[in-house]
Amino acid sequence: MNQSLFTAKNVIVQGITGSHGQFQTKAMLAAGTSVIAGTSPGKAGQSVDGVPVYDSIAAIQGDFTVDTSVMFVPAAFAKGAILEAITARVPLIICITEGVPIHDMLQIKKRLEGSGSVLIGPNSPGLIMPDVNKLGIIPAAMALPGHTAIVSRSGTLTYETMAGLTDKGIGQRYVIGIGGDRIRGTGFIECLALFESDPEVDRIVLIGEIGGTDEHVAADYIKSSVTKPVFAYIAGHHAPVGVQLGHAGAILGSIDESAASKTQKLKDAGAQVATSITGLIELISKK
Amino acid sequence: MKLLEYEAKSLLNSAGIPVPASVVISKQYGPEITLPVVFKSQVPTGGRGKLGGIIIVEDSSVVTPTIDALFALKIKGFLPTHLLAEEKLAIASEFYLCVMIDQPSCQIRLVAHRNGGVEVEDNEASSFLHISLSKDNSEATGQQLAEYYDLPGQTFALQDMTERLYDCFVKNDATLIEINPLVLTDDKRLVAGDCKMELDDSARYRHDWTFEDKPIDANFVTLNQLGDVATIANGAGLAMATVDAATDHGLNVANFLDIGGGANTESLLIAFRRIGDYPNVKAIVINIFAGITRCDEVAKAIIAAKQQIADLPPLCIRLAGTNFEAASELLQKEGITILGTLEECLIAAKKEVTS
Repeated sequence: MNQSLFTAKNVIVQGITGSHGQFQTKAMLAAGTSVIAGTSPGKAGQSVDGVPVYDSIAAIQGDFTVDTSVMFVPAAFAKGAILEAITARVPLIICITEGVPIHDMLQIKKRLEGSGSVLIGPNSPGLIMPDVNKLGIIPAAMALPGHTAIVSRSGTLTYETMAGLTDKGIGQRYVIGIGGDRIRGTGFIECLALFESDPEVDRIVLIGEIGGTDEHVAADYIKSSVTKPVFAYIAGHHAPVGVQLGHAGAILGSIDESAASKTQKLKDAGAQVATSITGLIELISKK
Repeated sequence: MKLLEYEAKSLLNSAGIPVPASVVISKQYGPEITLPVVFKSQVPTGGRGKLGGIIIVEDSSVVTPTIDALFALKIKGFLPTHLLAEEKLAIASEFYLCVMIDQPSCQIRLVAHRNGGVEVEDNEASSFLHISLSKDNSEATGQQLAEYYDLPGQTFALQDMTERLYDCFVKNDATLIEINPLVLTDDKRLVAGDCKMELDDSARYRHDWTFEDKPIDANFVTLNQLGDVATIANGAGLAMATVDAATDHGLNVANFLDIGGGANTESLLIAFRRIGDYPNVKAIVINIFAGITRCDEVAKAIIAAKQQIADLPPLCIRLAGTNFEAASELLQKEGITILGTLEECLIAAKKEVTS
């Protein structure tokens, strides 16, 4: 995953005629994103804010090269839409759709292997490179160009952190929401590698959550491969512990998935950690 | 969605996986019971055996009193609406057999242990057998399991069971099927003694699920019934962060609530009413950062909900994101203040609590 993946120009919107698709296409155009076409099966020939609608990605590819797809299709059709984009060899696929069944994602992960496509999401707000490109639903008005890179599992926390930094005059190079689902495309590691390799990035912000082991893996990667300063916050220090049913969690989850354990692990890996988002913003703005 | 034992076993039974002969009892329906019988309280929590939720009855005179007692027995705060009455198995040995989704590898995985039962997680993690399952490679699992369990006579039964389990897992959009114990009976039958099953709520649209509504709502959780501040946020991450920040500010938070992307008048009204059940709440912190949500719609919902509930505690509202200007205008007209940051909300809430 390198920077050119996110700055490529020909962006399409899958599910462009739905209410979210229309609204967010307008917002992306307003932010300067080059949305060249959209898809909505059976609605070829229509247009949304001047953007032509096609039946399929293949039909668009008759007229244009497609670099990126941002997807707003309903959850029941997300699998079909993602597989369509993989088959059409779209280099970057960003799935905003929430509620994609986990078994659909297992199939999609298999198809992604060796496909040459990168998937961000599902259940992701997408990403923004302020003043460069907005791919998804992260509000552009809150962004400020700069040299901080943010990666987060939570959509709303992504906005919160970005807005907090902008408030303090700290600009961003990348703001990426990788999505909160258990099975997803791109993870923390790929984003950390991108941030480490881009000379425009001078510090990294990682926002995680309780549950799962991704932050533990990210901490190992930070320790071994990241030289830039990392700031981290894990949401859920005072979150309720889920009602545990069965033993499977305890057996597989021999790693502690609590916010405290993840925070400690990141700290041990050299990251500077906070226990609240306001604390995180303070921590970053002091440096 | 977590299923109750009787619901999970009905899915196993439909998949052709052996379960004990049983009947389901509700308060309205008391079928004839064959003795001896095991009564099991159907509560959405684990550890019920140690809390008296499983009773073996051999004498017909105690059947009715036992049923009444179990319906009245609260287990970790839950009262059962159903009991399961099962045949008493003649147990030779107990194993552990589970199918789950392994997140790091994105695979469906079978996990087994030769020592099943309630203490299964006390076994050394490395002593569990792990096998990746897929449509194509399940042929050898019967052999592997039979060797691991040391049940040479059960190779074909175990092969059949794992194939059926895999199909059941995929067909029902399950995220967990845990059979514990998997019982080997004295007459050499393999039977699912207990089963925990979780299905993927996101896949609900493609199933005809009619399972009991569980009194568990991941989006609204009481943290402290006597807390002095309630919270409402959108997105699980922001909702957790709001609770974290409020606690850092020395506030005693009553609840966690993620109203998700669909913050509308109806969902806010439900939220306000539930918060109304907390006796000590003196302020409600509303923290909405709109991406796909639109601030003006949230503002309209707040105004409508506020009009419908008279004695609402003071609202400390922070809105940001999509359509913020329109929202700000709407709320200003109603004399409702929007605060710029969560920080300001928490300071305002603290004032309400200490005043």
